[in-house]
Amino acid sequence: MSSLNDDDRANLTAYLDGELDEETAQALEVKLSQDPDARAEVEELKQAWTMLDYLPQPALSTSFTHRTMEKLAVEKRPVETGKMPTVRPATWLGPIGWAAAVLLAAGVGWFASQRIWQPAPDPDEALVKQLRIIEKWRAYDLVDDVGFLKQLDHPDLFGDDAGS
Amino acid sequence: MAMTGETSTQLALRDPDIRLMLRVRNDDDAAFAELVELYHRRLVTIMQHLVGKAEEAEDLAQEVFLRVFRGRKKYHPKAKFSTWLFTIANNLALNVLRTRQRKPAIPLNVRDSGPLGPRPAEQLVLDRERSPHDRMQQQELAAIVQQALGTLNERQRVAVVLNKFEDMNYAEIAEVMELSTKAVKSLLSRARDNLRIALKDYIYMDGGRPGDNGQRDE
Repeated sequence: MSSLNDDDRANLTAYLDGELDEETAQALEVKLSQDPDARAEVEELKQAWTMLDYLPQPALSTSFTHRTMEKLAVEKRPVETGKMPTVRPATWLGPIGWAAAVLLAAGVGWFASQRIWQPAPDPDEALVKQLRIIEKWRAYDLVDDVGFLKQLDHPDLFGDDAGS
Repeated sequence: MAMTGETSTQLALRDPDIRLMLRVRNDDDAAFAELVELYHRRLVTIMQHLVGKAEEAEDLAQEVFLRVFRGRKKYHPKAKFSTWLFTIANNLALNVLRTRQRKPAIPLNVRDSGPLGPRPAEQLVLDRERSPHDRMQQQELAAIVQQALGTLNERQRVAVVLNKFEDMNYAEIAEVMELSTKAVKSLLSRARDNLRIALKDYIYMDGGRPGDNGQRDE
């Protein structure tokens, strides 16, 4: 059983990798020098690390770069969806369309306002229309009916020759 | 490693791969092919150690390069080009490993051995029963190590592979994995202790070990 505590053990790998600060490394070296079990543990860490060299090295394909460039070319090609090409509207249609829409909106607005919003009737309007009659109302009031009035207008009654 | 305070121009002057990537950003396909040629060996190796299958590793490496190309317009050099590349590789590999963990392959029984003999998982069981004096063939040992690596969780595995095969220090691994340096230290400590335990019975049983190239801690 080694004398290393948890902190020492956590520092062992960093010590082997040369990533420990000098003071901590020296303190650890003192412990290792006094403890054969700790030294054995360090040796196991080293040997296990060395064994990673047994991992198989990949047999690299000589055409890797070529194949990657081919794949890139395919990726850069525009995607063909098989659909009919969409027809883009002519650019001049835009402003005209907007103008037509504005006019249509204005027309609909005016029509709706005429239908919905009607001004209140002018109470004097009837008086104005009948003003001429009203002014002569006293004379008309003496007349029994319109037929009699028309007879009075006959030239035989009040003409220059009458009574002469 | 992040190079704070350095401008993109300074980084580009120091790292020729950044200059290549800046050409890729400007739609230079030849520069992209050059980057693929430069990095594909390292990337396929990393992917194979992470996912364990050679064919899948090539497909994944290819996907990493395609992601590099797709993301070229957003590329702004902030660190070494390789750090950016391996960050993309790390994200892809973690996705694959997590998906695989959610949909694990149906384990085969020992009696399901194929015509080529026992599979690595079965081999581990068989090898534990062998006498320590039995000599293992290199191929068998490779299967044992692969199996031991498979006992690590995804993040431990990525940290181990980047440390061991890309020779990355803790700060570089932290940047690739988007972790703190302290978290990487803890991750690697647990990972290496797990490897030690998994491989303990096989240490010193290999006779002559493969070349010690890449061994930094002795």
